[in-house]
Amino acid sequence: MRILLFFPLLTGLIGAPAPPLPSGGPVRVEIFEDVAGKDLDLTGASAVDHYTEPAFAFPHTPAKFAPNAIPLDRSTPYFLRATYTRAFPAGTYQFRLRARGSARFFIDGNPVAATKPQKPNTSSDDPVPPPIERGNTPLRPVVYPHQDSLATVTLTAGEHTFSLVAAVGGKGLYPSTGELAVGVSQRGEVDRLLGPDSAPVLTDAAWSAYVASSFARHYESDTARRRAVSREVTAAWTERHKALRAKMGAATAGADIDGFIDAKLSVAGVQPAPPLSDLEFLRRATLDTTGLVPTPDQVRAFLKDAAASRRRNAIDRLVDDPSWADHWVSYWQDVLAENPGILKPDLNNTGPFRWWMHQSFSDNISFDRFAADLVQMEGSATLGGPASFGLATLNDAPMAAKADILGQAFLGQKMSCARCHDAPFHPFKQKDLFAMAAMLNGTPVSLPVTSTVPQGEGGRKPAVTSALKPGELIAPEWPFAKLVAHAESGALPAAGTVSTRRELAAYIISPENDRFAQVVVNRVWKRYMGVGIVEPADDWSRGRASHPELLAHLGREFMLSGYNMKHLAKLILNSRAYQRKAVGLPADQMSSAKRLFAGPAHRNLTAEQLVDSLHLAAGKTFDCEEMNLNPAGDRTAKQFLNLGNPVRGWQMTALSNERDRPALALPIAQSIVDVMSTFGWRQSRQSPSTDRDDAPSPMQTLILANGVLGTRMARLSDDSWFTAMALGHSTVAELVEETFLRILSRNPEAGEKESFISLLQPVYASRVVAGAASRATKRESDGRVSWSNHLSAEASLIRMEEERKLRFGDQPTARLSKEFRERYEDMLWSLMNSPEFAMVP
Amino acid sequence: MSFTRRGFMQSGAAAMAATALPKGKADACIFLWLGGGAAQIDTFDPKQRGDGKKKAGSYYDSIDTAIKGVKVAEHLSKTAPLLDRCVLMRSITHSIVSEHAAAANLVHTGRMPSGTLQYPSIGSVIAHQLGPKTDEVPSYVVMGYPNITRDPGFLGAKYGYVYLTQVDIGPNGLVRPPDVDAARQDRRETLLASMRDSHQRRNSADPVVQAQADVSRQAFRLAGPRFMNVFDLNRESSTLRQAYGSEFGQRCLLARRLVQSGVRFVEVSYNLNFLNGSGWDTHNEGQLKQHLLIQDLDQSFAALLQDLERNKMLDSTLIVIATEFGRPPEFDAGGGRGHQSEAFSMVLAGGGLKTGLAVGATDELSKKIVEKPVTVPDFHATIHCALGINPHKNLYAGDRPVPITDGGRPVLEIF
Repeated sequence: MRILLFFPLLTGLIGAPAPPLPSGGPVRVEIFEDVAGKDLDLTGASAVDHYTEPAFAFPHTPAKFAPNAIPLDRSTPYFLRATYTRAFPAGTYQFRLRARGSARFFIDGNPVAATKPQKPNTSSDDPVPPPIERGNTPLRPVVYPHQDSLATVTLTAGEHTFSLVAAVGGKGLYPSTGELAVGVSQRGEVDRLLGPDSAPVLTDAAWSAYVASSFARHYESDTARRRAVSREVTAAWTERHKALRAKMGAATAGADIDGFIDAKLSVAGVQPAPPLSDLEFLRRATLDTTGLVPTPDQVRAFLKDAAASRRRNAIDRLVDDPSWADHWVSYWQDVLAENPGILKPDLNNTGPFRWWMHQSFSDNISFDRFAADLVQMEGSATLGGPASFGLATLNDAPMAAKADILGQAFLGQKMSCARCHDAPFHPFKQKDLFAMAAMLNGTPVSLPVTSTVPQGEGGRKPAVTSALKPGELIAPEWPFAKLVAHAESGALPAAGTVSTRRELAAYIISPENDRFAQVVVNRVWKRYMGVGIVEPADDWSRGRASHPELLAHLGREFMLSGYNMKHLAKLILNSRAYQRKAVGLPADQMSSAKRLFAGPAHRNLTAEQLVDSLHLAAGKTFDCEEMNLNPAGDRTAKQFLNLGNPVRGWQMTALSNERDRPALALPIAQSIVDVMSTFGWRQSRQSPSTDRDDAPSPMQTLILANGVLGTRMARLSDDSWFTAMALGHSTVAELVEETFLRILSRNPEAGEKESFISLLQPVYASRVVAGAASRATKRESDGRVSWSNHLSAEASLIRMEEERKLRFGDQPTARLSKEFRERYEDMLWSLMNSPEFAMVP
Repeated sequence: MSFTRRGFMQSGAAAMAATALPKGKADACIFLWLGGGAAQIDTFDPKQRGDGKKKAGSYYDSIDTAIKGVKVAEHLSKTAPLLDRCVLMRSITHSIVSEHAAAANLVHTGRMPSGTLQYPSIGSVIAHQLGPKTDEVPSYVVMGYPNITRDPGFLGAKYGYVYLTQVDIGPNGLVRPPDVDAARQDRRETLLASMRDSHQRRNSADPVVQAQADVSRQAFRLAGPRFMNVFDLNRESSTLRQAYGSEFGQRCLLARRLVQSGVRFVEVSYNLNFLNGSGWDTHNEGQLKQHLLIQDLDQSFAALLQDLERNKMLDSTLIVIATEFGRPPEFDAGGGRGHQSEAFSMVLAGGGLKTGLAVGATDELSKKIVEKPVTVPDFHATIHCALGINPHKNLYAGDRPVPITDGGRPVLEIF
């Protein structure tokens, strides 16, 4: 075998893909952790994980899970080894090793290519690397700060073994693989990924398709592995619930939601609101379960179903929709104050436990297990295990903050006041909060000076007091003996390492603690009905239940179902009470006497429902920048989290540009965050919240009407579903009807239909521009800007230019005439901006 | 929430408010933000010369100003003769020295973070207390990136801001997309009106639907031509635009136009960091071209003072130059400066204050305060008093009373 090594980039290549290669099997990949791996030598080390990939490209690696399914960190660095055997015809080949850090590529055991280790960066004013020169090749260029190492190798005919060893992460680095890959080509053609005949070519489009399919594949296999490794723990929880059912006996016969609701209505002499129409019901239920508006296909399937069972069938289908998890994550992000920062720790930053919440709702783990795992705060802190809930950066009493959050979330005990003094209007003292904080801490906590009431000027007596002194030590102790006095922590299937956390979890989820089930039930009820049976839902000592028997009934049902959120949702969504027209506003019904639930309270779409539904209706994806200010990966996850490429609203985060630096702007993400924060989403969740501040405001109307996001959603670009529809063969009336269905989930009224037909008709026949081609719409953020160079002038100019271009929205399609396009866009704009769109029916 | 509860909490605050407070006559505020931490010793509190290496001290010579006995760095030559319109606050002090975001948050909210409550920015408090002068403009505008330090916190989204990051692009949400001209906007609004009307008709008995429709109608008035014209700087003479200078200067000019239109609080973030690489955060090489920043600030600020004066707005408009902390007299290994929060400067101007003096003083190297320390709450209290706002008044986070400033005492000698 003759080996030639040369490193300069090839230019002037011809853009034809390489010919198909003879067949080979999948690529075998092994993961090694906690090994020295000096010079990438893995001799004697044994792999902790192995799996296969379809080709030599590794944008994702498998997640690691504990036996109770929570995500764990891998060692940093960890090592990846890929091996593969296949036959090649005799000839000279060029192999391309692409990596961000240290990697080596071997053929038949001989090293042929290598990349250098990545250096941790401590600068912020490095020069921006020169722009990528594409030459005339469609080859995907080397993205900063990746390296290509090329080797020209003459192979004999027959089988050869190829292997790659790469370090991932390491001291001072972010643990991700980047665009780690090996390509192979002949005679200056474009590389194909090393692998079987069908391996993709290394062009931008094929690479992003590969990354997307790799993500989907890993998501699926991670899900399967997670469920498999946690089977025993899941079974233990099921046993616990079975025992509980046996102890509780059967459900109360004949009791149902509507019985309780109608009884109180009839005593009050109030008529219930009229029922929703089928289509209104479907829109409401779909939004409430998936966070999205229904698609026209879903509407048609629903209407085809038998009238008597279509609603129940739809509910069964909806609670099993994968988006069920998405919709619940955004709720618990607020309640549990999930607050990851992407730029160095700021006040009360947590890790991204959104990921663990998402998998938990996706696996529909029982809710008592969810709470118990959260309280134990174990697993990965930076990759989103419950340990990331345990963080509260720059907070001098982090566990007091967590105790307050857990108290509000699961016990209806709002203890925020007790952070600094004995609560003047609540039945608990500062000591109670810190005793619970000490349980989370595992050892006694001392009261910080900041958690005391300063003496006012002139020795004024403060209005609030505390029995505790600064510096005083408070021992771990369950403070709510009134709720439940006894709990068996030994019997808990969640085995954490801190005994007082396990005890706390046991108290909270104890079946003898009705409060836990009732608080959760009340939260779910409030989410679907707009108002809780108890208000405030996070502070029960200040309110009374409007329907105590209903609350007890639902709590009991929830426990009997094994704390199953889907069971609970089905109970509520199938009730007549839920399926009535909305009445009044949540704020009108704060006193328990006024809460009759003649119908659910009016709700507006949440920020997440709004942006997700707009994207779904337009058929567009977020296409926004990675939530990451260190794409170069040359800093640690602790300083710069990478929250990935969002596809749903809940995946957004605070963009953290307190430094006001243009180079730190993420313009597309900003345009989404602008809309979401105007509609009540909090980009920074320093404290928990159950009720959002999302009252209608003129700015909500305007940001949607004029902002970048609204412009993009109404724009007929080549990735818009509406563009495809308009290019089809339907009549103008069909187009109007389908458009209404897609945006508003209803048919147009006669008058509406007529006015939009008359808008479009004059230009309809000539709408298609013959011969015009579809144009790419995806925007790529300039990958050269990272924290390490963000202070350079060029980095600022790059982002400012991106911002400027974005104002124009997505590139319009050339396939529709301008006259038609503008009219149809204006129709879309008026439907998307109608107040009806932003309200839950 | 009950009245008794509020009454109970207020009794303590009432005692606090008993001290007589000055009441200024300013009715709007332009808040110039020098993000990164501007070096007081190289700007408004110059000392003996250092050498950029071992010898600590100012990086520039200093020059006389319109205030007798008060000098500033030589690169503030346009501001120097106008300094009698200003109050130099040379003894600002706080304790957050390492983290920009945390210090910026302190200077914007006037409070140390508590972990249980998100405090409103000063812009939101002023928007909350004063509201816009007319209902056709918002009360609070930011030129800079949206972030939590500028947020309304517990006051709620209603007291948030409209923002823009580039003057010629205009405020996000208020400016129509570039491809929508007036005729097209008319068509859009007509179509929208018919959608709104049919929805209202179908729900004629529902007050919530009616209210939503009203909000939608109201909104388009806010984005109407009257307010949009404010953003058209071409309506100003080219001489004036040139006098204001750079893109930052244009921001200052826009700030004047916004105040003129009825906006109460305009935060103008200094945005030309690339002049020296690091902006005001002059570590290492950032120091070398810091003078370009100072000269740029000088030109824009001087132009703003003169322009406001010409328009007879200076007495009613308070200008603030603020930054998250200052910088030490010593130089770091790269010839730049680290952070210093124990003693640094901010500036107040106009606003009907008794100007033409420096408040407080630092030692011979501007390291320690030797006269009249002014805390961030004091600084906030001074701004609020200048705008006629009682800094001890309680705002409410739900039931919890939160005084506007954390015991801040206004600097009395400038009223």
